[in-house]
Amino acid sequence: MDLTQLALSLKYFIPEMVLTGFIVVAILYDLFLKPETSHRVGFVAIAGLVVTLGMLYQQQGIPATGIFANMFALDGFATFFKWVVAIGAALAIWMSLDTKELENRRVGEYHILILILVLGMFLLVSATHIISIYLSLEMVSIMSYLLAGYLKENSRSNEASVKYVIYGAFSSGIMLYGLSLLYGLTGTGYISEIQAQLVLGQVSPVMLVLVTVLLLAGFGYKISAVPFHFWTPDVYEGAPTPITAFLSVAPKAAGFAVLIRFFNVALSQGDPNTPSWLALPGLDWPMIIAVLSAITMTVGNVLAIQQNNIKRLLAYSSIAHAGYMLMGVVVADQTGIAAILYYAGVYMLMNLGAFFVAIQIKNIYNTETIADYAGLGFKAPWIGIAMAVFLFALTGLPPTAGFVAKFYLFRALVQFGDGFLWLAMFGLLNGVVSLFYYMRILKAMYFDKMEIPEKLTAVPLHFNVLMFILVVPLLVGWMFGDPLSIWAAEAVQFFF
Amino acid sequence: MGEVIFWVIWALVAVSAMVVAFSKNLVYSVFSLLATFIGVAGIYIFLNADFLAVTQIVIYVGGILVLLVFGIMLTNRIVVAKITQSSLQRTTGLVVVGAIFLVLVLTLLNQTWPLATSAAEFDSTVNNIGELLFGDYLILFEVASVLLLGALIGAATLARKEL
Repeated sequence: MDLTQLALSLKYFIPEMVLTGFIVVAILYDLFLKPETSHRVGFVAIAGLVVTLGMLYQQQGIPATGIFANMFALDGFATFFKWVVAIGAALAIWMSLDTKELENRRVGEYHILILILVLGMFLLVSATHIISIYLSLEMVSIMSYLLAGYLKENSRSNEASVKYVIYGAFSSGIMLYGLSLLYGLTGTGYISEIQAQLVLGQVSPVMLVLVTVLLLAGFGYKISAVPFHFWTPDVYEGAPTPITAFLSVAPKAAGFAVLIRFFNVALSQGDPNTPSWLALPGLDWPMIIAVLSAITMTVGNVLAIQQNNIKRLLAYSSIAHAGYMLMGVVVADQTGIAAILYYAGVYMLMNLGAFFVAIQIKNIYNTETIADYAGLGFKAPWIGIAMAVFLFALTGLPPTAGFVAKFYLFRALVQFGDGFLWLAMFGLLNGVVSLFYYMRILKAMYFDKMEIPEKLTAVPLHFNVLMFILVVPLLVGWMFGDPLSIWAAEAVQFFF
Repeated sequence: MGEVIFWVIWALVAVSAMVVAFSKNLVYSVFSLLATFIGVAGIYIFLNADFLAVTQIVIYVGGILVLLVFGIMLTNRIVVAKITQSSLQRTTGLVVVGAIFLVLVLTLLNQTWPLATSAAEFDSTVNNIGELLFGDYLILFEVASVLLLGALIGAATLARKEL
């Protein structure tokens, strides 16, 4: 390999390099800060993310290309997910700045670890070689374990971290076994070359199914699909709430990115950028994913009904949403993937928003139990209205962007033909179930009688600004020609 | 001769791995892990992967295992502690695991695996690994350094006394 060739790739790697630079700056800056002022590292982190986004913007219009000996790809698909991840991270860090849970402790490392997590996801969404996929997946996982256990004196947080580690190690071990089988069968690590080998048809279908199932253990764990979801409620409950919010959107989106890229390139035939693309003969993975999707959304929604803790409820709801997004993977053509991209963007806003309300209520009234939300709609009207918007969006009701996002998913599924109509019906039924438990929160906030608890603190002004930033796009973002959907449709472009 | 040695190593790995999993005494588990690691290094040697074999010994036997032994020796009364591996739902588990095992064995046997074209001369892999690590895989080498930096920061954060 010619080193000048590698050096040429550097100009396509500017956002990642800028991010790494800011990680180093944040580490050095943290050394000069006392524990009381260590939250200032968060400002450096947000600044770093903003500059990174600027660098991402400057990459617009570069045709899909492989970089660093095709270990990573720079294409529209990866770039879209990088935007989602970086914006989600900036919002999560913003939420962390005034959270009671993180008060009176050093938080410098907290922000540094988030930045490294973001770098890991940047790499994960663009990885095109099994080693780069595995390395960046581990980078994401290890940073998530550390962040989930950041509240050291809190036994729930310890439990979250340990459970996360054990499940994570187990499922990534299973996935690694699958990858090693795939490497043994094809003799190459590049996912496009794996496809070239597999289409020759020398691998028995049973073997392919086996490999697919082993791989799904790793990817399914990252997106918390059933039956790899057991860690989700405990981790989401125990982790610091801003981290829960972040983990429920960004690594999930990144997990979907790598899942789609792997299945559409390695386990398919033909160029994924063309409509003539098909799943591998003998390996009906759309059906496997369809079954997984139906089970995931049902389990998530049904188990969410009986939850009393807001973080656990949102954890199960996030499992259900993974099921909805898997519906798009089933179709996996241009419309299906565009629908997933759109959903990932909207889901980032609405889920971060719902968790943000949980953070605020925890700050002000020190409770996470839904029954204690009684009357909050009148006591804290702005929070109440915002929560209503987020919950309407999560349910998929108009006039929010959540409705549009679900609509695109269902449309992709129905347009595909009659084969997966049953899945669409499943999705609709699940929507009704989810309506029940989302509205239970609203019912508590607006219709339940209560004695009003004392406010412990006032809401800082910048939190109101953040709430506004989260609510407004959900309400009006889909109007004015729906720029996000246009971008999502353009972003379906793979390096192949 | 080579075949006999191979099967001896194979048996060593399998038996010692079972002791690791089923022993009720943590110290026995750790010491049979030693045999497992060394046996795996032997398998690497059979695959002509000399660098990997040495790495296996240096990192797993020399590093990780010693750390484990120290961890156990320095922990109070851990030697007396009985570990329970009684598992729930044995029958269900056995059926599932048996089915997976069967599928694995059948598919591994039925699959025609692409074989290396020349199994002849032993040639040291160190040069090739070095060139690949600083050529095609250079970026992954760099990414791993950031990953290790993060792990280090995280470990220090979790281990320090103040909040």
